[in-house]
Amino acid sequence: MRFVGRTSHVCDVYYGRSIRKAEKLIQVRPCGERDRSNRMKNEGETTERPDNTAFTQQRLPAWQPILSAGIIIPGFLLIGLAFIGIGVGLFLTSQTIQVLERDYTGIAKDSPCFSCTIPNTPNCTCEITFALSELFKGPIFFYYGLSNYYQNFRKYGVSKDYNQLTGDTQYFKSPDNFCFPFDYDSKKNPIVPCGAIANSMFNDTFELYQIINGTKKQVPLDGKGISWWTDYNLKYRNPVLVDGSFAKAFNGTVKPINWPKPAYELDLTDQNNNGFLNQDFLVWMRRSALPDFRKLYRRITEGDYSGGLPAGNYSLTVHYNYPVMSFDGKKKVVFSNVSWMGGKNDFLGIAYLVVGSLCVVMSVVMLIVYAKFKFSDDDV
Amino acid sequence: MAGSKTERGVSWEVRANGRHFHQSCRRKSVLCFRWGRYADNVVRSYKYTPLTFLPLNLYEQFQRAANLFFLLIVVLQCVPIIATIPWYSTMLPLLLVLLVRGFKDLATDVGRRRSDAQINHRPCDILTPEGFETVKWKDVRVGDILRIHKDKVIPADLLLLCSTEPHSLCYVETADIDGETNLKFRQALNVTHAELNGDSAKQNLGSFDGIVWCEEPNGNLHSFKGELHWKGERHLLDTDHLLLRGTVLRNTDTAYGLAIYTGSDSKILQNCGRLKLKKTRVEILLNKTVLVILLFMVTTTLLLAVGAGLFEYRVSHQYDVVSVLQRDSSPGYLGFLSFWGYIILLSPSMPMSLYITFEVIHMVHCFLIGRDLEMYWEDNDSPAQARTTTLNEELGQVGHLLSDKTGTLTQNRLLFRQCFIAGHIYGDMAGEFKPPDLSWNRFSCGGTKFSDQRLVDKLRERSSPECQEFFTALALCHTVMSEWRDGLPHYQAASPDEEALVCAARELGWVFLSRTRETLTISEMGLTRNYQLLAILDFTSKRRRMSVLVRDPGGQLKLYCKGADMVVLERLQGNWLLQESTERALELFAQGCLRTLCVAVRSVPETLWTEWSRALSQAGTATGNQDTALEDIYEQMEKDLTLLGVTAIEDRLQEGVPETIASLRRAGVKVWVLTGDKTETAVNVGYACKLMDPDTILIEGEELRQLLESPSPDVRLMSKEKEVWTTRAEKSKAALVISGPELAELTKTPEWGAKFVALSDQCQSVLCCRVTPAQKAEVVEMVRTHSTSITMAIGDGANDVNMIKTAHIGVGLCGVEGSQAVQNADFALAQFSFLRRLLLVHGHWSYYRVCILLRYFLYKTTAFALVHIWYSFYNGFSAQPMYESWFISLYSTMYTSLPIQCTGFFEQDVSAKSCLRWPEIYSVGQKKQLFNPFVLAVTLLYSLYTSIIIFFIPMGILQYSALDFQTLAVTVETSVVLTTTVEVILHTKFWTKWNIAAVVFSLVVFFLSTLALHSARLFTASPKDYFFLGASPNAFSTPEVWLTIFVTTCIAVLPSITIRALGVVLTNPNKHKIHSSKNESVELQRFQRGTFQRRSSYAVSQGKGFGKLITTGVGLHSAAPPKDGRVTADGLKKESSQGSHREMNGDVSC
Repeated sequence: MRFVGRTSHVCDVYYGRSIRKAEKLIQVRPCGERDRSNRMKNEGETTERPDNTAFTQQRLPAWQPILSAGIIIPGFLLIGLAFIGIGVGLFLTSQTIQVLERDYTGIAKDSPCFSCTIPNTPNCTCEITFALSELFKGPIFFYYGLSNYYQNFRKYGVSKDYNQLTGDTQYFKSPDNFCFPFDYDSKKNPIVPCGAIANSMFNDTFELYQIINGTKKQVPLDGKGISWWTDYNLKYRNPVLVDGSFAKAFNGTVKPINWPKPAYELDLTDQNNNGFLNQDFLVWMRRSALPDFRKLYRRITEGDYSGGLPAGNYSLTVHYNYPVMSFDGKKKVVFSNVSWMGGKNDFLGIAYLVVGSLCVVMSVVMLIVYAKFKFSDDDV
Repeated sequence: MAGSKTERGVSWEVRANGRHFHQSCRRKSVLCFRWGRYADNVVRSYKYTPLTFLPLNLYEQFQRAANLFFLLIVVLQCVPIIATIPWYSTMLPLLLVLLVRGFKDLATDVGRRRSDAQINHRPCDILTPEGFETVKWKDVRVGDILRIHKDKVIPADLLLLCSTEPHSLCYVETADIDGETNLKFRQALNVTHAELNGDSAKQNLGSFDGIVWCEEPNGNLHSFKGELHWKGERHLLDTDHLLLRGTVLRNTDTAYGLAIYTGSDSKILQNCGRLKLKKTRVEILLNKTVLVILLFMVTTTLLLAVGAGLFEYRVSHQYDVVSVLQRDSSPGYLGFLSFWGYIILLSPSMPMSLYITFEVIHMVHCFLIGRDLEMYWEDNDSPAQARTTTLNEELGQVGHLLSDKTGTLTQNRLLFRQCFIAGHIYGDMAGEFKPPDLSWNRFSCGGTKFSDQRLVDKLRERSSPECQEFFTALALCHTVMSEWRDGLPHYQAASPDEEALVCAARELGWVFLSRTRETLTISEMGLTRNYQLLAILDFTSKRRRMSVLVRDPGGQLKLYCKGADMVVLERLQGNWLLQESTERALELFAQGCLRTLCVAVRSVPETLWTEWSRALSQAGTATGNQDTALEDIYEQMEKDLTLLGVTAIEDRLQEGVPETIASLRRAGVKVWVLTGDKTETAVNVGYACKLMDPDTILIEGEELRQLLESPSPDVRLMSKEKEVWTTRAEKSKAALVISGPELAELTKTPEWGAKFVALSDQCQSVLCCRVTPAQKAEVVEMVRTHSTSITMAIGDGANDVNMIKTAHIGVGLCGVEGSQAVQNADFALAQFSFLRRLLLVHGHWSYYRVCILLRYFLYKTTAFALVHIWYSFYNGFSAQPMYESWFISLYSTMYTSLPIQCTGFFEQDVSAKSCLRWPEIYSVGQKKQLFNPFVLAVTLLYSLYTSIIIFFIPMGILQYSALDFQTLAVTVETSVVLTTTVEVILHTKFWTKWNIAAVVFSLVVFFLSTLALHSARLFTASPKDYFFLGASPNAFSTPEVWLTIFVTTCIAVLPSITIRALGVVLTNPNKHKIHSSKNESVELQRFQRGTFQRRSSYAVSQGKGFGKLITTGVGLHSAAPPKDGRVTADGLKKESSQGSHREMNGDVSC
């Protein structure tokens, strides 16, 4: 791939002013006697003489970077060092982030939620306790996690009606085909919100208590703003009230089969968190990329706990509703604080470190190769 | 009767003046059906009619596998159950591709129609009941009687009925058919000549009702079989009675002919072959690669479908959320559906937009070829032009150049440049040409390139009898006919050499005035003398000499002989003087690449003559082997000669031919010469234009045969042959010379063809002489089949059309001879020397650019599409796209196409100057270094690597976060775009402002359009199509995403950067290559020196000369001596008889 004389043309002079547009690209220009007869040779304008422009003569001024070992080897070294620097920074930052994970699926018989895994136990509640030996710095993000759960399954992913979710009531009557089989119930009533995603909405709820001297002190959980701003403000809209009633807007529709209550009753206390604008609903509807995922449940930012969770014992009450045992799924809760780069992520720092060290290694290898070649060249 | 005609092979019936008869059987065609017998005289080289354009063009386009594939994908995308991405993402690019291609085809076809129309609208005269009427060529029908005027092109294959010349002779120039520029004569049947000629030719012709039965139309130019039935008699016809379409009538005032074959039936068009769609080798490999990708894709898809089935079987049934969606179908059926879903999803890995980019790049390269000032020829105002816009990169890979000779390598102008008389060399090759003052010579027409005042002085002073004798010999010893125009003699010769010699003698005062059957009239420095012509010992290629026996005005008998040096020198009188200086002169002339002839004289005693003439007449009447008998008798006369001198004629080469050929040879291009001309001429030109080195040995005839006839027919035994070969030509260079008949034998046995090509690879060159147009094509075909290199054919005449069409690349020279070659060529040049720039600069650049383009394209599309495979493992093989559907349709058309196109337009790995200075660079293309299966495999593996990195690094990083699918999609999309952009930046070595602009523009477009597509405005317009609302603003404001994109891109391009860096580190310290190529240029000059082989020859027609015509006295009417009374009585007597003859013909040409 290297050519003879590749460095010899560096100083070729390129000049030229205008670029003629290649408009007449597809042009069959006959040559020979035929057209010479109908061309007036004396008049310069009818001549076929090509224009002397930089473009047509391929003399465009150009920059031809010629790299040499003198640039490349230090370059690799510098880039490598820079990467290592970033990698170390990211890795150390990641190390400062505190994470607390608790699986509450209840597979093991001695686990607190085991009893809830037995089918047909409605309103089952279980309690998970954990102790913090030091302050868990705030603000703390409280996630729930599911594994082996294919929210990214294609047919699952398309099983929703965007028009319905923009609050357009005309789509309430006739949900999109993609929602099948969650578009109509057995009595041919349209389901709102239709589709598999909505139907399978995560419905475990959690309450966190700090146990201070045997008494439970509830930790306030902040559920505001946990969804995307664009989702809450643009993508999802509630239907316009009918006769001042939100529920009436859903007239003629039924709730998703798995839901205990209809969409307009998701949060009766706060109209801004009700219907399609319910934060938990929005978080759920933003489907995950991978089968093991976590979604933001709440933040701990308020009251006594705005600085974080102090050391001590805590108890998490789980209202266990969501079945995962059938497909070997797992459920967990995650508490984590964040840094400027997001949550705890060792992989990112390691990736940078690996790239950086590779560059450094390469620069050393190249230096050796270069030295060897130069040496043998001198011999000749 | 009819049965016997079929037996005789004459089933083609032509009735003279039978327009109605032939009209009823006119050949017509609708679509692909045709009926009728006689074609009309319309040339149709176009492909489409308004009706057939759409179906035919679409049919052609869908023959391209990729187009068909994408059509299938579009159809699949319309099936909702498997439509993984919306239909428009494939449909839009496909439509664009079809439109651009269709438009281009249309434009080319319109161009063809236009040039057809130009030919079809040429005027000609046909006989109608009302007399001769001027019509267009296309209106000529079989059975029409045509009148052809002097210097007009003959519009159809005609049977010559009569002409205004004596004996209804007429002369035609067949340069457009076989490349020979000397005139051929054709003669009408005696019966038609006698009956139809005369004052009332028009009436006679009008009532002519002969019927011609002849063979069916065929492409054999040199044979014709037929019979004329007229007035109850049968007359046999052969090729001598035929005027072929495309030949030019010369020296004949008017000729009348009967159209026998018209249009596509005519011999020349039968020779043209069909218009073929040419595909470049790169494109073929590309198609194969696409096929490999397709196979890979289908296999992968199958595996993924199996995965989907398994997922359904093992996982999904427990997983009610999903299993409900599957509508209780069986795993097998779901696997089947997911197979098609994945086919659609992975289809972007097929580089469809590559084809259109490919086409655009080709068009731009063609445009640049046409606009290159250095390939523009001022003299006839013709720039180079690329007529086929798909072959550019092939220009950078040419391994065999097959060139015509006449008009391509040579200008076909023979010039008398030097002579050697009595120990002196006259004429100067080196210095500036100063035309000598020839005003004293009233017969001088100018046009010679000979200047030597010493000789002119000697001749004028009459101080050198040797010189006088020499020029007397030149003026007498030939078979040239003279014709008087404007008071000056113009010569018509069977051999251009003779014409040059006679012209030179004329310029210097020895003017050949006229000849009759028995006399030769010359003017020696103004003094008209009459020589009695006793015998012409005509030229044959075996004898390689000719002589005339004359009685000079003094009554002395003299034999003047001229011929190749070998044959003449060995027939000289014993101890001739000046042997050494003659040898030296011959050597010198050979160095100057001049063609030499020795001129000698012999005084013949009267007794010898009487004896000899008796023997001659006996031989003439003897039956049996007349030719050898004659040769023996000639031999007796041509001995004891005295050398008069040596002539040196230059076969003018086209400008820059030797330099070009030397350059191409350095570039590793094998140059073959295919010519209809005779061997000696071709060999001479071969040496002159540096095709062969002066010390190159010629392998021809029997020797070549022996080399080819190895004991075993197995070609694998070549190694053994090579031994034979090396012993023969050890440490020396060789060239193969093969003639038409030998070639015919060669092409009959395919294994010989393979051997011949293998043998030729070790030779400097191959010369194929006396080959027909069809054989030229056969040679090209042979090279094509038996070697792996790209063949390029270059020619200028109609006889080259077939070979131009057969070769991978055909180049036509827009020269003096018609435009047939150009019409059928892929590239048209004005000069042979432009080939150097076309191949070394444009070809090399095109190849480089196209290869970079193709590799990059394959890389970017596969790297982009393969990500889906990796994602499948994490989404239950559900054919979930990794990207937004808009990204899929815009990725290859908008986000990544401009930078690579700019690279494709402007990239220069080496400058034009370096390309020309180091032709060795060209071998990159010949060896297919930039685009071969290995390189492709590396490219595809690299893209596989890239796709793995691009998926797994973001996935690995983001799995620890709560980021959703859309964020991952945006991250991967951005990584892909950045990676491919960095890759194109690495590919580009020649940064014009447009490249920089394109890179910046593409990135800006990507970010802006991604943000726009994820904006609220579009979402509210159509929520279903723009559901990525907010994904990119959200992702781009997350530092984690940026850190991920950055590291992903870096890892993805790291190998590419490392390899390039290693390349630089490895190559930079040693610049051996440049030095070595410099050394070679020194070597180039060396081949000016060395020993030169003498080349002495005589270029005559491969047909018969005029000798027989002269001795039989046919066609000598134009021998009109000046009417100034300075002719002898003998001459006058002849003149009067000729004159009366002329009056009889109603000819007043004098």
